[in-house]
Amino acid sequence: MIGAVNTPAIRLRGVTKRFDKKTAVRDLDLEIPHGSIYGLIGPNGAGKTTTLRIILDIIGPDAGSVEVFGSPNVEAMRTRVGYLPEERGLYQKMTATDHLAFFGQLKGLKRKEALARARAGLDAVGLGDRADDKVETFSKGMAQKAQFLGVILHEPDLLVLDEPFSGLDPLNVELFKQLLRERQRGGATILLSTHLIEDAERLCERVCMIAGATKVLDGRVRDIKAAAGRRDIALSFEGNPRFLDAPDLVEDISAHGSYVEVRMLEEADPQALLRRAVDSGALISRFELIEPSLRQIFIEKATEAGLSHEDESEDDEAAA
Amino acid sequence: MNPFTPRVTAVIRREFILRVRSKWFLLSTLGLPLLIVGLGVLSAFLAVRGATDVGEERRVIGVADPAGLIGDLLIEEFLAESLDAARATEMEELSIGEARTRLSDSSYDLLLMIPRSAGRRSAQMPGETPAGNPGEETTLLARDNVPSVIESSIRGALQRASVRARLRSVGVQSIDPGALLRRTSFEVINVTESGEARSQDVYRMLSLGIAFFFYFILLIYGQMIVRAILEEKQSDIVEIMVSSLRPWELMLGKIVGVGAVGIAQMAVWALVFALAAVYGLTAGASTLAEAGIDIASIPVPWGTLVLMLFFLIFGYLLYAGMFAGAGATISNEHDAQQVMLPITLLIILPFIATQGVIQSPNAGWGVILSLVPFFSPLVMPARLFATSVPVWQWLVSLVLLGVFVLGAAWVAGRIFRVGILMKGQRANLPQVLRWIRHG
Repeated sequence: MIGAVNTPAIRLRGVTKRFDKKTAVRDLDLEIPHGSIYGLIGPNGAGKTTTLRIILDIIGPDAGSVEVFGSPNVEAMRTRVGYLPEERGLYQKMTATDHLAFFGQLKGLKRKEALARARAGLDAVGLGDRADDKVETFSKGMAQKAQFLGVILHEPDLLVLDEPFSGLDPLNVELFKQLLRERQRGGATILLSTHLIEDAERLCERVCMIAGATKVLDGRVRDIKAAAGRRDIALSFEGNPRFLDAPDLVEDISAHGSYVEVRMLEEADPQALLRRAVDSGALISRFELIEPSLRQIFIEKATEAGLSHEDESEDDEAAA
Repeated sequence: MNPFTPRVTAVIRREFILRVRSKWFLLSTLGLPLLIVGLGVLSAFLAVRGATDVGEERRVIGVADPAGLIGDLLIEEFLAESLDAARATEMEELSIGEARTRLSDSSYDLLLMIPRSAGRRSAQMPGETPAGNPGEETTLLARDNVPSVIESSIRGALQRASVRARLRSVGVQSIDPGALLRRTSFEVINVTESGEARSQDVYRMLSLGIAFFFYFILLIYGQMIVRAILEEKQSDIVEIMVSSLRPWELMLGKIVGVGAVGIAQMAVWALVFALAAVYGLTAGASTLAEAGIDIASIPVPWGTLVLMLFFLIFGYLLYAGMFAGAGATISNEHDAQQVMLPITLLIILPFIATQGVIQSPNAGWGVILSLVPFFSPLVMPARLFATSVPVWQWLVSLVLLGVFVLGAAWVAGRIFRVGILMKGQRANLPQVLRWIRHG
């Protein structure tokens, strides 16, 4: 089985990787529990791909240790891992079935078994009638399906996906998410990286935020949000807005007619504001504590840490 | 530890099947025997055509011999060769430059000009190469390109006329100059320690053929390795691959897979040639026997062939490793040409050297080259065919080659490990050296 339940699927300690003069990953600690869907988030060039490659033993860290399934011997776990890199291609001259079977064999499946699974998989995603066609005849969407199938064919215990949804058509995004959840129900741990924080927020139970090669924050999405506090209030009312003039409670207001967004001071009690509003005679139709989005939290934390939060440079961190 | 894990054999299998099924394989495998047969037929056809064509073409030769040295003899010889010839007395007082301008108006297609000065020295006859006396050369002016058959007829006639003139000058008339000039030859038979006899010419030709074949195989298949690795990069698949197997395993799979294609191709060729040989023995033995070649007397040197196969395989592995390392440093066709060039030179150079070594296969430098890796895969097989090589020599050669194969594999593995993930620009030499040092 997958190993003792209390050992994390992946554990990184003090991992650092430099390319020439540029540090891609700095002193990174990471624990990814079994069976979770874990998001590695951050802008392009933050060090996400490098981190994934270190976990997969494609490149070695300059310092620190990596354990996968409780073992530092990454070699032993290769067949239990499926990896979908950001740049994912197929051998154009092979048929879809042959290609998937080849991937299966690389992961230790017997050829017969691999062929059977390839056919079943292609059937399941609606490519059954194209199973014996060469990949070069496939549309982009079809190729995306085949690429994804290639990663899950051997039913890996750990799925590592680098920007899995970038460039996908919307139908495939849904299909991928569905297949991912299936794999999770089957007991697999899923680690994905994305620069689209909203994606991670919807899909992942836990995230690690990286900016400028450094970890900013990690933990359960729920806990992160709770810790960030609910300081924003959405307020709709009729009446005199005088009650909002409360420097002891309110830090900032942005008014849009009868709809107002209020940012409370830290430690201030939203209930106090509500009481004052009621007492002022205003007619309140909405008073809601809004959860901060992961994106907002990320930007705040990255700014606090003095890291550039919107480093949208497109250069491939791998090429460094 | 067996390096051929299931995942490596999967890579080998994919590489092999895809390439053997390709159009390229079909064309080149069937193409080579067809090409050889075709060239044979074509050259035979041309030879026959050439001979008949010359027969149809009449040329009139004028002989300008102002000193009257050999003109009459020459015309006799020309007529004996059934060439139309006449004394061109009207041209005899002209310089070559003047004769040139007059040639097109004359009735001659060819004009053989013998300088007046040619006979001054008794030791020299017209047509004989004068030693450092410019202006004394005999010249053939021709309106048109002279077919080589006619040229050699003229040369022969001139030579015989010169001999006759010389004989005449010492008072001998009755000897046929043809008999004096009869060509002599002998066949060189190498006798091995076991008393086996083999024709040196045949084996020299065979060893050159073998060297050319090896050269061809190393070049073609080496370049195929670069293509195979480039394909990984260009189809964006390499990262998936290296998450499933170690880079050196990928490299090994590629090299062995492509090599297996080569072995399959050579097996087909061997089969085709074996069939052709059997057919040729039954159908063409009598014609060959007429030509003085007894096929059955040429023994098949199995031991040498097996040994040569080892040199080919080791040589392939050596160059394949280098090509693989080079392939890992690039990401496009254009750069491929550039990185392949130095390695290609390392194959061409030994091939050129082989042609020299064959002339005297036991000379010191030939022996040394046949021991030196890079040279040995071509030079040693050629020597094995051309002479009997002492056991210690091929043994040392093979061991040295083996060591270099391992060394090249190690270096290539280091380059491959880093380079295979590189995209875009070609890696420069300092970069590559750093990869080799740090891995």
